[in-house]
Amino acid sequence: MQLKRKFDAGEFAVLAEMEPPKGVDVSKMVTHAMRVKGDVDAFVVPEMSNAVMRMSSLGGAVILQNKGMETVIQLNCRDRNRIALQADLLAAFGCGVTNVMAVTGEDPSYGDHFQARSVYDIDLLELLGAIRGLQEGKDMAGIELSGAPEFLVGSTVNAGAKGKSPELVIEEMNKEIKAGVQFFISPPLFDLSAIEPFTKKVDIKKAKIIPTVLLLKSLGMARYIMRNVEDVYVPDSLVDRIRKSSDKVRECTLIASEMVSLLKNEGFSGVHIATLGWENKLPEILERI
Amino acid sequence: MIVADKKPIEEIIEEIKDHEKILILGCNECVTVCEAGGKKEVGVLASALRMYFLNEGKEVKIDEVTLERQCDHEYLEEIRDSMDQYDAVVSIACGVGVQFMAEKYHDTPIYPGVNTCFMGVTEKRGLWTERCQACGECILATTGGICPITRCAKRVLNGPCGGSVRGSCEINKEIDCAWQLIVDRLKSLNRLDDYETLCPLKDWSTDRAGGPRKVVREDLQQ
Repeated sequence: MQLKRKFDAGEFAVLAEMEPPKGVDVSKMVTHAMRVKGDVDAFVVPEMSNAVMRMSSLGGAVILQNKGMETVIQLNCRDRNRIALQADLLAAFGCGVTNVMAVTGEDPSYGDHFQARSVYDIDLLELLGAIRGLQEGKDMAGIELSGAPEFLVGSTVNAGAKGKSPELVIEEMNKEIKAGVQFFISPPLFDLSAIEPFTKKVDIKKAKIIPTVLLLKSLGMARYIMRNVEDVYVPDSLVDRIRKSSDKVRECTLIASEMVSLLKNEGFSGVHIATLGWENKLPEILERI
Repeated sequence: MIVADKKPIEEIIEEIKDHEKILILGCNECVTVCEAGGKKEVGVLASALRMYFLNEGKEVKIDEVTLERQCDHEYLEEIRDSMDQYDAVVSIACGVGVQFMAEKYHDTPIYPGVNTCFMGVTEKRGLWTERCQACGECILATTGGICPITRCAKRVLNGPCGGSVRGSCEINKEIDCAWQLIVDRLKSLNRLDDYETLCPLKDWSTDRAGGPRKVVREDLQQ
């Protein structure tokens, strides 16, 4: 409930991504999370991002919750039909998970099980409707529940979308707000100017826009994102800064840390930190907050 | 063939109620065979709509055309010169025809007049049943020519589920268990040994899981 409390109080919330293992050895995930337990308000546990099979979001989240850490689970429409999605929502709340993010999920062709058949029985807005329905005490068939869950509901917004007008992005976001979304995580941000057309038209505090701060791991990664990831802008100056640095890993950590502070000072409702396997760097990134 | 079923007239009226010059466009192929969207159905639908608008006191022009096909450029081009006479088209071809029309005639709304149901056969007049789901990787050679993906409610590929009772499917006693049909067929072909072979993991990427599909024949494109 720490996350909801922070949002309600208008305080800067710190979310950190904590990907469950591909396997059952959860020791690394737990160790990394425990190290920053006091500095992170909630751990976002992805639901098999990029369609790569691994431990489920709910499973990973319950493991962290049992160690006293708050989590945000993700539910995607790709892998489950409406029956399973609702069942997992009830299970999540029953296990103490009160924050959920509804996501569409990447197509299986992106992942390591490209032969899999995706489900998409319901879409994102229908899933949000289902969450609202459960909170009102009824399932999607209209049958009354024995005890209704109460969730803080999140989604994603592509604040720096290229080839799509900010007005359209905002319209889609408003649709989700009407469907019950209370906060939005946006893609990696390396320069505030990249989302300026969006932020100029949105009350970032009211809509609770939570940009992602992605830890770059190398000069190559920065260049790769700059050239290949369409909606993420990496300025030349940042690439230069990493290139000139003698300790590139330290520099990348510093960049992430500075970005977190900047977002806080700019009045965002929080930050979502993604470290892609380098969760051991989280303490350094968080030390400036 | 592609089997379609007529949409309720109320639904079509709802689609076109704000238009005044409407073309009802039929297709001379699959939907003619299943009596949902051929020349005869174009006439019946156009008459019903004329009567409706007459009763409503609305002057609406409703024309009738049936093309050889709505899934080929050349036939859709036949109406190009007359398209500016209409502010809406109700296509009673399958969904393929409706979409191809919409791709071709950008400024005219194209409404569907049928529900496209499945690929199937005419068992008898008035009864069409499904046979193929176009999964993109045909396994009929191993299942005696009977498709479990289409005809089994659960699409199971290695024998019947626990819901198969006396040859019927658990979802409806009127529906044959696909695997009962397969076993019976393999028996009559004296190929029951095939039943013991496990079907390899199905690759759904050739099905809709891989997104919209295409068949490319470069030899025919030259």
